[in-house]
Amino acid sequence: MSLSERPDEFESRRQHLRALSDEELHAHFWSLVEQVVDPLIDEARSYTSSSIERSVLLRMGLSSIEAKGLVDSMSQRGLLGHGAGRLVLELSKAKGVTVREAAEALLAGQHWEDLAP
Amino acid sequence: MKLVPNEKLDIEEVLSGLAEYRPRRRGWTWRQPIENQQIGAFLYRDSSKGLERSVPLPTAHSFDDIDPQCDFVITTEIASGRFEDDLRRMRMAAWHGADHIMVIRTTGQSHIDGLIEGTPEGVGGVPITRKQLRASRKALDAIEDEVGRPINFHSYVSGLAGPDIAVLFVEEGVNGAHQDPQYNTLYRGINMHRSFVDAAEAKRIMADAGILQLDGAHNANATAKQAWKVTPELMVQHAINTAYSRAASMPDELIALSTVPPTAPPAPKLRLDLPYALALRDLFQGCRFRAQQNTRYIEADTREATVTHVLDTIVSRLTSAHIQSTITPDEGRNIPWHYNNIAGVNATRQTLMGVDGLADVVALRRDAPALAGMSREIKERAVLFLEEIVENGGYYQAVADGQFVDSGYYPERKGDGIVRDPAGGDAAGTVVPREPGYGAPVCSHFGTNIYDSGKGKACGTYGGCTLCDPSKIQYIDEVDDDNVDQRLKGPLAERAAGLLRPEVEKHGDGIVCVTLFVPAEPLLAEAAALEMARRMGLEAPEVISRRVMHPAEGSVFEIKGRLDVALKVDELHPSTSKELLPEAEIEDWCRGRDVHVVAATVGEDEHSVGLHEILDIKHGGIEKYGFHCHALGTSVDLDKLLDEAAAVGAHAVLISTMVTHGGVHERNMRALHDLAVQRGIRNRLILAAGGTMVTDALARACGLDAGFGRGTTGHDVASFLVRRLRALEDGSLG
Repeated sequence: MSLSERPDEFESRRQHLRALSDEELHAHFWSLVEQVVDPLIDEARSYTSSSIERSVLLRMGLSSIEAKGLVDSMSQRGLLGHGAGRLVLELSKAKGVTVREAAEALLAGQHWEDLAP
Repeated sequence: MKLVPNEKLDIEEVLSGLAEYRPRRRGWTWRQPIENQQIGAFLYRDSSKGLERSVPLPTAHSFDDIDPQCDFVITTEIASGRFEDDLRRMRMAAWHGADHIMVIRTTGQSHIDGLIEGTPEGVGGVPITRKQLRASRKALDAIEDEVGRPINFHSYVSGLAGPDIAVLFVEEGVNGAHQDPQYNTLYRGINMHRSFVDAAEAKRIMADAGILQLDGAHNANATAKQAWKVTPELMVQHAINTAYSRAASMPDELIALSTVPPTAPPAPKLRLDLPYALALRDLFQGCRFRAQQNTRYIEADTREATVTHVLDTIVSRLTSAHIQSTITPDEGRNIPWHYNNIAGVNATRQTLMGVDGLADVVALRRDAPALAGMSREIKERAVLFLEEIVENGGYYQAVADGQFVDSGYYPERKGDGIVRDPAGGDAAGTVVPREPGYGAPVCSHFGTNIYDSGKGKACGTYGGCTLCDPSKIQYIDEVDDDNVDQRLKGPLAERAAGLLRPEVEKHGDGIVCVTLFVPAEPLLAEAAALEMARRMGLEAPEVISRRVMHPAEGSVFEIKGRLDVALKVDELHPSTSKELLPEAEIEDWCRGRDVHVVAATVGEDEHSVGLHEILDIKHGGIEKYGFHCHALGTSVDLDKLLDEAAAVGAHAVLISTMVTHGGVHERNMRALHDLAVQRGIRNRLILAAGGTMVTDALARACGLDAGFGRGTTGHDVASFLVRRLRALEDGSLG
């Protein structure tokens, strides 16, 4: 038997569960699930990814090709943590142009120096 | 776009004007259940609103052609690699009762970091793109109008582009989707941090649009060596995805657990599967259940697969389900053929109508040890599984330790679980911490966001995101030469030329399947079967199913091959079959009218079987409608036949003429007509003939009123007789 093998120790391991009613067992089950899921969802709340940022730009009216181009460029410049959508929106406000015009300018290589948040 | 039932789907119309096409709704639609519904002669307990157009089950002929629809949504999974061919399969499936159309993605799409555009051809599935979704949704909108019931369109929000795809699905009116980061992690080898971070965003997008989510736990059934031992872990996988979805603000009514009864006969299936099914429904009250059929143990025998799937469906009815997914019975031997999608849907709806109201007469013994005890044990094993995850440092560490998809019955471990490195996998190291000023000025965004102030929409400052203003969606048509227009050139040219080929998957693929029994030992029989298929003219014949009937007496084979034959439709002469009168109408007319029919096999002809099939009540013959039949036997002289007709006051004379050498069947028919004319009774008497070489046209050319060929039933003859007699009675016929 290798280290990761183990016999069926159900009877010995379940002793602390025997006395629980079904309702108590269900509540215990879901509290354990929360303990497993909480750190995962905390990470999701405070991290982003190129896929998330592309999906933001899609929602702002960019095509998939435009969204990928912008997000890849922002990622290379280490800017993704600010949010691709925020960078485009704030640029559009600063320049007094539409979101689409701001995105097209960035895709044409313009205004990247103005993006520093 | 409007479909006409007797016209083929116009793919060119589907593809035109797509840039402007918008889906008519977002989110999932359930059937409309009707608790006590009278349909035909029966009161249904578990049925739903009916269809306007459908193909009823074959046996419905005996029940006034009713087509009751169960209260579960019925799924079929479709993927030929070419969406343009799949649309026709979707239409056929909808006519047979499917209202959840799941499109399988092409191999490898999970690993593409971004969206695909255009309409490239897929392998084992379809590349999911905006154009493919829009065309499919447009066709489904027309199909749902044709059948009279909403159709849910479904695909996958997984892989490296989950959030992108989730947005795409909302924009294009996709109604259901698989989403489960554990699937990426365990089965696709995608980095687990990336999978979970992306999943929260994708789930939030789906939730806000009302898209029904299916989880990925069923894959553990399909992967595990002994599927019934993975049940404790299945509870855990369902729970992780459910809790994660809830945390991303998805309501329980959009969280569907994808669950499969894990075993198949000869295992004692129901006794093993029911405790697990009950434990799951206890622990996940409030969620939805998508009951899938078993694929883990499917073999090449479609009949065997169907029986397992019927038992799976009975488990659904005995416990509960909201969606009954179907597996094509040929999934064990090839990428599903279109008519096998229909076979799977039909096996399921037949089962569900057959067990309608089961709860009124059968109840599970929920307190018996075999159910309550086993169910509790599975739950406790699941709790122990969770305790070990927590003790060892959480989910990522548990996957790194190979705790998942181990073939032991937990807490037993065999050491063969799937092991993934939290710092490794596809797209490792691609999640980025959000800076303090992080913002995403769009709706349906998950997590910290400076634009999410709780006051007004995050997209308010620039006029709205595409979820609020679909006119902003950017449509890309095609990006290269691998596209639907190129693929359609051949099929459209053949259709324009009026050519017809057989098919099972793609337009005119020429694939046919023949069944052969060969009376020899298995290896010899197989060699013979393949050679016979070759001599039938099949190219590249291949055995797709073999069953030994007896080691020495023989085996039966199903062989597929390509029949390279294109027929010109204008050189074919389809029979102009008239729609038959309903059986009840025939009987109503006949009873009380005292209609006599005299019948015999004529000439030097001892065949009697065919005539009996038409006349005898036990064969479904015309006697059952109330015709008085006088059968005179075989080799009967025509003079004697007409004497008898006069003696009983017959309304009709039916002759059977099977022998054909020297055109004797034609001579018999002409002679009958001539003799009736000589006797001056032709106008009062209906004359008809039947036989394997008789056709309606031939019989009428010989002076008779009708002819009936191979495949004729009593219903055909009775329908003709009543129509003709009714016309004689009301004077509309000479």
